[in-house]
Amino acid sequence: MAALQEGIYHAPGKRPGRHFGLLFLRVAPAADAAAVAAAVGDLWQMLQDLKVGRVRDLEGVSLPADKDAMTILLGFGRNAFDLDGVALQRPRGLADEYLFRSADPDGGGPLLRGSGLSYAPDVRANMATEGFCIQVIAESKLAVDRAVVETWKVLADRAEPVLELTRFYLGNQRNDHRSWIDFHDGLSNLRSADRESVIAIGPGTDEPWAVGGTYLAFLRLAIDMVGWRRLGRSDQELAVGRDKLSGCPIVGVDDGVPRTDPGCPVAGTEIFQSANDGPFAEPPETADPVVRASHVQRANHHIRPASDSGSRRIFRQGYEFLEWAAESPGFRAGLNFVSFQDTPGRVLKMLTLGGWLGGANFGGDVDAHNELARLLSVFAAGVYFVPPVVDGEPFPGAAALGVAVPAPAPSTDPDTGGAPAPPEEQP
Amino acid sequence: MPYDAPGHADELTDELRERWNETIARAFASQNDTLKTRFFSLDPDALDEPRSTDAIKWPGDPGKPAFCVGEGNAQALSDWGLIGRRAVQLEYCEYMVVPARDETGALRPKRVEITTEFREYWACIAMHDPEKVRAMAADVLGAEPSWEELYGVADPHALSPDEREIAFGHTVAGHGNDRRLRVAGVPAQPTGRLNMERALFMTHPINGIDDLIYVAIFGAHAYCVAERDARRQADGDDVFSAFKVTHLACNHADPTISLGVYDLVYHGAQVAFQNPLGMYIRRPNLDVFSYDGGPVPQDWVHFSRGREGTHQRLVFGPPDEHDAFLDDITLSLGASEQPLVGGYQLLRELEIGPLMQSGDCDPIEPDEWEPLEPAPGAIACDDAQSCKPVRELLTRFEAAHAGREAPRTMPEPNP
Repeated sequence: MAALQEGIYHAPGKRPGRHFGLLFLRVAPAADAAAVAAAVGDLWQMLQDLKVGRVRDLEGVSLPADKDAMTILLGFGRNAFDLDGVALQRPRGLADEYLFRSADPDGGGPLLRGSGLSYAPDVRANMATEGFCIQVIAESKLAVDRAVVETWKVLADRAEPVLELTRFYLGNQRNDHRSWIDFHDGLSNLRSADRESVIAIGPGTDEPWAVGGTYLAFLRLAIDMVGWRRLGRSDQELAVGRDKLSGCPIVGVDDGVPRTDPGCPVAGTEIFQSANDGPFAEPPETADPVVRASHVQRANHHIRPASDSGSRRIFRQGYEFLEWAAESPGFRAGLNFVSFQDTPGRVLKMLTLGGWLGGANFGGDVDAHNELARLLSVFAAGVYFVPPVVDGEPFPGAAALGVAVPAPAPSTDPDTGGAPAPPEEQP
Repeated sequence: MPYDAPGHADELTDELRERWNETIARAFASQNDTLKTRFFSLDPDALDEPRSTDAIKWPGDPGKPAFCVGEGNAQALSDWGLIGRRAVQLEYCEYMVVPARDETGALRPKRVEITTEFREYWACIAMHDPEKVRAMAADVLGAEPSWEELYGVADPHALSPDEREIAFGHTVAGHGNDRRLRVAGVPAQPTGRLNMERALFMTHPINGIDDLIYVAIFGAHAYCVAERDARRQADGDDVFSAFKVTHLACNHADPTISLGVYDLVYHGAQVAFQNPLGMYIRRPNLDVFSYDGGPVPQDWVHFSRGREGTHQRLVFGPPDEHDAFLDDITLSLGASEQPLVGGYQLLRELEIGPLMQSGDCDPIEPDEWEPLEPAPGAIACDDAQSCKPVRELLTRFEAAHAGREAPRTMPEPNP
């Protein structure tokens, strides 16, 4: 029985924790699959203990962890499948054509040919391309921070270095359902009923061991806040495709003024509340080319079924970040874009196809507002395979690293007291 | 009747336009008898407050073989010349690779010809206006074909319209599952070189206008699933399982059309094909292609058989007089740089679809809902039975290519 790992909050009514961390682990050059499996297994067990309040250096102490609701997700990067002794082939979604390009050694460079996203000029190396990643989500920042530190400890304590924590990125969700550009975000995420068919790798594959897993795509996107604030409200709304205050989708433009459906949001509610899910959260189709150029329209063409990769639908789980920066305005604000999908092709095609986000940095009228051509810049980007949880595996994906997984125990038959049931009589 | 030539690609006389609309009406009638619905109209002008939809489009690459044998094998099968075209190019999009010899004498891919034109349209013109169809073919092929190449006879004018349809079917169009043509002995696929060595228009019966209308009407019903005393929108598994047509779920085109139409109907709309009825290629992002480190020259990308937004033909690759070949073009996908070796890679960068509209209509009455049982599970598109033809084709492909190195050259044609 293979199932999606935790940390993908796709079930109806499930909300992800407020705090997020994504840790990147580099494999030491001499390490083989067996050594890595041992290190990952040890790390995985430590993190499972941490979830229930046990810290290795505090033997016998139980930390208050119930309210943290911490989840741990393990991702395998491309390099994990190049290790000596690896037992399974690299999954197709980690082939080069499904990965992001590297940053230029001199800084910057396109994220993808055909995309309007580029690495920031001072990014000379993409730090999100290691052998493994660990996603930590919890209700408290301390829980995420502690997972980072405890990860360092458990890796550093090994006699032989096998994995190194090379970089981590933190973020948090806002309780106002908005992003740093002040607009609502994540409103038109997938309907609950469609989510699993978009996220989970289905049985229609020639890689049966990957079935039930998924791919995580990560982009650390910084926002040019100075440029964004140079735009007037209407121009911002036309770039996003939503009303700035209400979050209602823009459905037309009257003399340059964006227009929303007068019934939106449902009376007495806010746009992010469930009453608006059906009628308003997902922007409607529009024939107006100005509205169609907006971000929300480019990112979702309303194609059914969502399960077909041609719909380009993805399951997003983003977290804002804010960090100090030397350049004006003295900080860097942005989004940890995280999405889960059965193939990274959904994301890459969304970012490169004409009519979608192909050639666009964000959306909107770039000719009139040059700021929109470089509103977002990339600080890190990666694609990871998230193996399914399989009964008997000490950690997800263990079999890929050559760990022998015991065959499932035979099911016990209550009628025979646990002995195997006799074969059915032939007619 | 409302429909002009697909893509407005041809100027039609009133009579030809009428014949074309009769062809559409026949295809509609054959499906509407069993799937009758007020939520689909053959006449787009009948829609109240019509609105275009861009949601009914899909990637051009064949979906079914990827489900059955994986993407790599799907590419190999789809690019397997005429065999691949006739076996797996079933997304309302067919292509052929035009080869040429390089300076060493080796046969290499020169251009890809992609067509989304309906055989029914060409057959209709061929029935009623031989001069017109010859001019259309000349425009597409770059040289005027002989009457023999088009009809298998020296003078099609001496034939009746029905005889011309049969003759054209034998040579260029195939039977398209039309019972009259099958009875007359027309093969499923044409036997003449014009539409075997080149992609003149689509010939596979599945890529026909009757199939398009069928999947659209099939979706144009007020299906629902009752769960916990509430009505919910059915999903693809529910719809295709309920009617035991799970095969429709296992490609790109059919579920996108059916469920795209159904989505509009479920939200209270009536749906129609927009004029002109046709299958159109959306413009790709050419930035992902490069030649010699720069953009692909503009004259290597030739859209035709339609106006902007309604093109039905794309020829991609260098012209004969240029030394370059198709595989000298680089396709940048993700972190990879790949030579463009065939049509499959190109189709993945394209989106295909008809233009459709929806309009206001009377609300769905309680007795109009068609309740479905929820699907017992997700439809498995890799099941042994439905994948059998694809797997058998792969076995044939592997046998035919046993011992060969992966070439940049193409196999020599059979003598």
